[in-house]
Amino acid sequence: MNAFFNGEIFKDSLWLLVQQLPIVIEVLVLGLICAWTWGLILSLIRLSRFRPLRYLAGAYIDVFRGLPLLLLFIFIYYGLPHAGIKLNELTSGVLGLTLCYGAYSAEIFRAGIQAIPKGQTEAARSLGMTGGQAMRYVILPQAVKLVVPPLTNEFIAMIKDTALMSVISVPELLFTAKEKMGVVANSTPLTVAALIYLAFTIPLIRIAAMMENRRRKSKPGGKPPSGITPEAEKKLFDSDIAGQVPKGGEGW
Amino acid sequence: MSSKFKDDVSPLPAVPGTNTMIELVNVHKSFGHLDVLQGINLTVTKGEVVVVIGPSGSGKSTMLRCINGLEPIQKGKVIIEGEDLHGPRTDPNKIRQRIGMVFQSFNLFPHKNALQNVMMAPMKVQRKSRAEAERIARDLLDQVGLADKAQALPEELSGGQQQRVAIARALAMKPDMMLFDEVTSALDPELVAEVLGVMQSLAESGMTMVVVTHEMGFAREVGSRLIFMDGGVVVEEGDPREMIASPKEPRTQKFLSMVL
Repeated sequence: MNAFFNGEIFKDSLWLLVQQLPIVIEVLVLGLICAWTWGLILSLIRLSRFRPLRYLAGAYIDVFRGLPLLLLFIFIYYGLPHAGIKLNELTSGVLGLTLCYGAYSAEIFRAGIQAIPKGQTEAARSLGMTGGQAMRYVILPQAVKLVVPPLTNEFIAMIKDTALMSVISVPELLFTAKEKMGVVANSTPLTVAALIYLAFTIPLIRIAAMMENRRRKSKPGGKPPSGITPEAEKKLFDSDIAGQVPKGGEGW
Repeated sequence: MSSKFKDDVSPLPAVPGTNTMIELVNVHKSFGHLDVLQGINLTVTKGEVVVVIGPSGSGKSTMLRCINGLEPIQKGKVIIEGEDLHGPRTDPNKIRQRIGMVFQSFNLFPHKNALQNVMMAPMKVQRKSRAEAERIARDLLDQVGLADKAQALPEELSGGQQQRVAIARALAMKPDMMLFDEVTSALDPELVAEVLGVMQSLAESGMTMVVVTHEMGFAREVGSRLIFMDGGVVVEEGDPREMIASPKEPRTQKFLSMVL
């Protein structure tokens, strides 16, 4: 027991790790903003009417969903310098998160956009809005509301994946805990790191579950207010929304 | 019934010297191998209320959607106030601003309240100020009898109320003509009258309208011309009362005998 929970080392490590939190949060916030922006752009390209761009975005999404994030981090930090591109630890971390999670977010955004009934676009276009205006003022505001729960789940995964950055020397929780572990020859720092991760992830898991429940209760057997079909919703909330090719001619 | 909509109708036809608002010339439309429209010719002049009837699958809704370009066509021409909708220099978005459309399923924007639904297009498309858009929107909600529902979300409104908001939303762009696509078909029977009432006073104000409907009473009372479609073509057209009383074509006779 003492090997995992030593009171003195616990206090030391807690202080040490809490000091690293700003870096973790910085990487996370930057990663989140970049990944979601990139994901939204990718999803719009994937739904656009320009076929070559659509395929390109689709290929990107497939490739980056299929690669281990750990490999990406190592490639960016240790591989790219061979091509003369040297990025610091934090930039590499944020870039890795963006490339990988952008692909996941793109699929979530696409499912959300496609879950909005076609009549919404038609109503907007019939009022003289351009495709872009319809997307911006009518479709996206509704789609974003729909994708909050799946994006929350993605955020949880991202928090855990910051631990992978320990291999590229980002002084995040795992990296710092491991170093401390070597110094004190005791596993307590790992326990502390674990508790800090949980302090972040468990509330988010609860929030995601609450949103999910409220969504279910809000329509007891009735039709959803905006006419989103159950199939579309199922598609959206399935844990794996992969591999669905956009229907042809869905351009806007 | 005196019209409540007088102010909203532009006094002059957009093309000087002509009163033709909509002209369909030999319009063909197919979905894959299914030919939905097989050569539609139709001319609608200013102030006309053209009522389109026909069995389901006859292409009447598709024809309506071709008029404002929601559906691309394979052959033929759609000419709106003298402008070819599919012309190389035509901006269809500009033309759609002059054509209001109301849908069977309302299609109100669920994330916006009634007032915001009506205000959106004037603000975002016509770049009107918020104050100006709100003035227009409140005025129109008042005209459709929903001044007290301005803050209500679509889900809080009955079907009839939603449809009246949808009419107000289309009118907010001050269109030259209005298209109605089976706008009462999704309504409970007791809510149909309130929507038809709004449409009738709109017609009396001089609005050019194309109305796809199953309401034969409306066709007879309000329509200035009746069109019967079947199998993607116009089978018969004429004065609504005469046509309903004594249809000439066998297919029209058969259809009318079933719906009347």
